[in-house]
Amino acid sequence: MTAPLLITATALALLAGPLGCFVVWRRMAYFGDGLAHSALLGVAIGLIVGMSHQIGMILIAIIFAITLIWLRAQSLLATDTLLGILAHAALSLGILAMALLGVEDAEVHDYLLGSLDSVNADVLVYVVLGCGLSLGILMRLWPGLLLMTSSEELAHAEGVPVRVYEFLLMLLLGVLVAAAVQIVGILLITSLLIIPASAARLFAQSPEAMAIGGSLIAGLCMLAGLPVASAMAVPLGPTIVALTVALFVLLLAGRLLVDRLKPAG
Amino acid sequence: MSERLIEAKDLCVRRQGGLVLDNVSLALGERDFITLIGPNGAGKSVLLRHLLKLETPDSGSVTHKQGLRIGYIPERFQIDPTLPMPVRRFLTLNNNQPADALAELVAETRCDMLLDKPLAALSGGEMQRVLLARALSNQPHVLMLDEPAQNLDVSGQLQFYRLIDELYEKRDLSVLMVSHDLHMVMSSTRQVVCLYHHICCSGAPDSIARDPEFIQMFGGEMAQMMAVYQHSHSHDHTHDDAYDHTHHHEVKP
Repeated sequence: MTAPLLITATALALLAGPLGCFVVWRRMAYFGDGLAHSALLGVAIGLIVGMSHQIGMILIAIIFAITLIWLRAQSLLATDTLLGILAHAALSLGILAMALLGVEDAEVHDYLLGSLDSVNADVLVYVVLGCGLSLGILMRLWPGLLLMTSSEELAHAEGVPVRVYEFLLMLLLGVLVAAAVQIVGILLITSLLIIPASAARLFAQSPEAMAIGGSLIAGLCMLAGLPVASAMAVPLGPTIVALTVALFVLLLAGRLLVDRLKPAG
Repeated sequence: MSERLIEAKDLCVRRQGGLVLDNVSLALGERDFITLIGPNGAGKSVLLRHLLKLETPDSGSVTHKQGLRIGYIPERFQIDPTLPMPVRRFLTLNNNQPADALAELVAETRCDMLLDKPLAALSGGEMQRVLLARALSNQPHVLMLDEPAQNLDVSGQLQFYRLIDELYEKRDLSVLMVSHDLHMVMSSTRQVVCLYHHICCSGAPDSIARDPEFIQMFGGEMAQMMAVYQHSHSHDHTHDDAYDHTHHHEVKP
């Protein structure tokens, strides 16, 4: 296990905790999935234009978010339908583009499921910069985002630029997807957002506690997943996600137990 | 005449072909206490949302006094149960509420016993008091309430309206409230505006109750009851303006 891997995993976990909370609170799971599905198209565009995959993915995420917001504003179809159309359009285009560009199946497979070999010093810079910047922005927006998650009308009336905040949140998710794709893989990114935050929810008494708990759980599972996947020679993404699920089940059992004991005591 | 805090001029709002607001003009001045009544679907909430500038009208304009702060209680407030939000955190979100100001605020709105409870665990009455505290937390000039007592039982409604009255007397506030509770409105508020897509009538409760348009809308019995209610209760309240029981409503176009 290498230092870049450890640093990447830590940076990802720090961002995934709080961002995952918003995915849970604002029911954005399907949006996260859609964004992840479009990542392959971003990689393809990066290859064609000759720029970094991460930048390509972030560009695609921006296009994805803007298209979604625009389509949603037309109020012709439900948001989840629109997401389904966009996500699968992007995924099929991405896979077609990869095939036409002659990218080997093994490499596409790595993007889908994550791989230990994919993280090097170049990727590291993008991930750490991207996650650091995103975390900074998220902390700035945090109170306003929380208020609009409690009540959009209330936030709007109190002067929070709700539409701008919503777009920025989508953008931050795009950055996380771009940063996490190579470790966790396209198919499982959303679970890295949802499962740690949900596990933290079981015991959290405040939004901040849930965010920090989510980061801790995500970090723990990623750092534990790296040596396990490496030792057993299994794909990294599923290893990490399996660990978060295990932790979630443990915490759920603990929570149910506490609830069972409380009325008696 | 007091300074105008919010002024709506000739608002027209179209929804799916129909006019929801038809040439509505309304002004809220300093220390005004206006209650907006009207049947379901009359456009009361829509008007409120436009006065807040949450939406832009098809024609007409809404002007706020420079630097106006509004405290708002939306018609519906339901927090997602996955968001753990203690009352204390909610009241300090996105504002720099010092501890002593918070203590005063929660005492004033009777939320002091609720600070450590999660929002999701509050009863209807408790939630409305917390929302009231939140609305007051940025020292607003105007309090806008959209059917604030709709989910409360009768004694809860009475207590809540009494609390609003108390705050109005104590603070330098203007109040604009949408209400369904006609008996409360007619017995306690200072100015009533009756809306049905356009403003049908406005004025003091007793004059409203005799307005032909009001009688047509709510029925003669209701109007009579209101008038009676108004008379028998007119001495119980701390109104600073005595009602003269004559016709002096102003019908706006």
